Amino acid sequence: MIVLIASQLINGVVTGMLYALVGVGLTLILGVLNIPNFAHGVLFAFGAYFFLAATQAFGGFWLGLILAPFGVALLGGAIEYLGVRRLYTAHHDYQLLFLFAIALILQETIVLIWGPVGTTIQPPSYLAGGVDLGITRYPLYRLVVMGLTTAIVVALWLLLTRTNIGAIVRAGIESREMVEVLGIDVQKVFLFTFALGSWLAGVAGSIAAPITGLTPSMGFDILPVTFVVVVIAGLGSIMGAIGAGILIGIAQSLTTIWVPEAANVVIYLLMGLTIMLRPQGLFGRR
Amino acid sequence: MAGLLELTEMRRSFGAVTAVDGVDLAVAPGELLSIIGPNGAGKTTLFNCITGELAPTGGQVRFDGSDITGWPPHRLPALGIARSFQRTSVFPSLTVGQNVWVAAHGCAPRDPFAALKPADAAIGVRAVIAEALGLVGLDRHADKPADVLSHGDQRLLDFAIALAARPRLLLLDEPTAGLSRGDTQMVIGLIERLKGRYTILLIEHKMDVVMRLSDRIAVMYFGRLLAEGAPQAIRADPRVREAYLGKRT
Amino acid sequence: MRDRTQFLLLIVALVLAPVLGRPVIAAEILAFAITAVANNMLLGYTGMLSFGQATFFGVGGYVAGLMMVHWNAPLWLALAGAAGGCALLAAAIGAVCVQRVGLYFIMLTFAFNQMFYFIAYSWSSLTGGEDGLAGIGRPAWLRDELRFYILVAVLFLLSLAAMKRIVDSSWGRLFRAVRDNPDRAAATGHDVRRLKLLSFVIAGGFTGLAGALYGLVYGIVPIDSIHWLRSGDIVFMTLIGGSGNFFGPVIGAAFYIWLSETVSLFWDRWPMILGIVFALVVLFLRGGIVEILTRLAGLAKRRAAA
Repeated sequence: MIVLIASQLINGVVTGMLYALVGVGLTLILGVLNIPNFAHGVLFAFGAYFFLAATQAFGGFWLGLILAPFGVALLGGAIEYLGVRRLYTAHHDYQLLFLFAIALILQETIVLIWGPVGTTIQPPSYLAGGVDLGITRYPLYRLVVMGLTTAIVVALWLLLTRTNIGAIVRAGIESREMVEVLGIDVQKVFLFTFALGSWLAGVAGSIAAPITGLTPSMGFDILPVTFVVVVIAGLGSIMGAIGAGILIGIAQSLTTIWVPEAANVVIYLLMGLTIMLRPQGLFGRR
Repeated sequence: MAGLLELTEMRRSFGAVTAVDGVDLAVAPGELLSIIGPNGAGKTTLFNCITGELAPTGGQVRFDGSDITGWPPHRLPALGIARSFQRTSVFPSLTVGQNVWVAAHGCAPRDPFAALKPADAAIGVRAVIAEALGLVGLDRHADKPADVLSHGDQRLLDFAIALAARPRLLLLDEPTAGLSRGDTQMVIGLIERLKGRYTILLIEHKMDVVMRLSDRIAVMYFGRLLAEGAPQAIRADPRVREAYLGKRT
Repeated sequence: MRDRTQFLLLIVALVLAPVLGRPVIAAEILAFAITAVANNMLLGYTGMLSFGQATFFGVGGYVAGLMMVHWNAPLWLALAGAAGGCALLAAAIGAVCVQRVGLYFIMLTFAFNQMFYFIAYSWSSLTGGEDGLAGIGRPAWLRDELRFYILVAVLFLLSLAAMKRIVDSSWGRLFRAVRDNPDRAAATGHDVRRLKLLSFVIAGGFTGLAGALYGLVYGIVPIDSIHWLRSGDIVFMTLIGGSGNFFGPVIGAAFYIWLSETVSLFWDRWPMILGIVFALVVLFLRGGIVEILTRLAGLAKRRAAA
């Protein structure tokens, strides 16, 4: 039993870190552009599929892992530049609906290119296999995922706190008017933020692919969870999204031990509790 | 002095910033009291604490003897309190008459069968609407969509909406803000017509307007009440001059 | 005046529909049309974008289906149960959702939708899970497709008449006031949250009825009925028909069904067409089909005058 709980706990952290990455990307876009990105899930999916394509095209696991997120960032940037941008003057509901439409289109594109049936991708042999953690034996790749996601979070934190563009993004979350007043080109900030958020979704998808496998619907499946992460964290809280992501990951995996059917519902119950007891989210202001 | 509206120790903070810092104020029935002060003095915040858009961090609001501190905005029209807004606030997709209808309906007795009847069925409400539009001079425009009105006429509509509640206390937040000279005169004329019939609490920046209309003036400065009294007394007060250094009267 | 013309056109369309197409498809369109018009009460009239109306579409279907399959309930009772049950559910969900506005409201409706989807998915002993709730039989006198269509058309007209009444009443005008300027609506004495909740409950109740009717069309309530993508479809229908017009969403529902039925015949990836059309509408034609028709009518008038 202890073994089961321990390994599920670690599983929860691993899944949670992935949720966290996707959640942070969504939080950035939500915070700076003020739009719930309904295409965020499908960008995650593209992260996985681009990764698959890259490994097939270039043969390298790590090369694919590096290239794929940038492909997704490009895709996200294109979406912002060609579509979302045209809707800034319209009622903000329309930006959301546009992204939903894009999600539909991109989802079908995945099926068009890669077929309706899912597939898997294997980590390289030196990353497969298990590691003895004392309490239990645990898949090495999942530990690698933990390491990678932590590294990315640290890199993101450095980007946001140590660079100029990071400061501007954080300022944009606080107040768009402030950024405009400072003479900064808001359009460029939007484009950058959307691309960055997309990159985060993409890298999460790439890293997750060897664990979760690839299915065309993986994008639509992860989108609701991402929204829950953001709501529990509190709109605008980047680091909070990480905490919330891990919390949700652990909640899901632990629930699976005792009541497997409830594993998916439990996160919505958590969300409901958060809204009622602490509407601004666990880490949010307001 | 028993005021129609009494503010006691009103306080409102936003984190470390105290926008309203212990204000005591009483508005006598039938008088027009103006609140003036430099930008950021806390005037609109004070209004918002009275009308419920904000909850005061401390202090008490009493209207006609009853404690209404922290009451949400929608409960006030029934008591007889109405306000206009600094940035014109109307319902753009409704007609002028329908705009006023919303306000008149807000004070009308609740009709459980309302869903079954066309919106304009209630006859009593029509009289209220006509009166409010007549007061501001927009009767000819009753059937026009609000968003086609001129800037000045929309401001008049904003007032008509407040008047439709047939309030005893009227709070006007910078009624002449952003208006041309001509429109400003129009609004001043309207307020002069309303004086006496309504108790009016007014926020205003234009000193000539304030001097002309006010029975009393209260000066706010950094969230505090600096001085209070008749217009001439305020004009002569050295502390007020100091606060307004550089401002022309 | 124009309302009456539109209504007459609607009657003509209702009469022609089973003749031009199959009565089954026509009935399906009407079920979605009720949903879309109800959704417009939320979106077009009260300014609330809900991404969770499928919650009620699905629950309505399940309630009516279960009542008929397990309790042998008469049809009218099952439909009333679906509508009433969903109105109550909407009151509960709405009470939580209207506490927030804008993005938060949307995400709350979306999350509730997901929650109920997973409950439906896991509780397969009740709902049939992934396979849906099957075996919903119509009473003998409704087995004929044309007769069933006529019943659905009558219920559709009654539903629309009721919603039109509401929309033309004080409630409708207050909904629009809340949409235009919720702060001023509150300042003039209206409990905005209560009004929003009212709109949400009305929309939920009628959507439940529509979901129940849909279950009767094919005798099954598929799990898709309660999936959040269905919520997106409902918004799509509302918008593409034209959310600024009471009858617009009816056109939207017809367009959506036509698109899905026709295009899916020769392309499996028809949701992509849906997405493209939706994107184009959002970018360039926010008034929907009604906007196209209005512009054409304007053109025709100018031609006639010249």
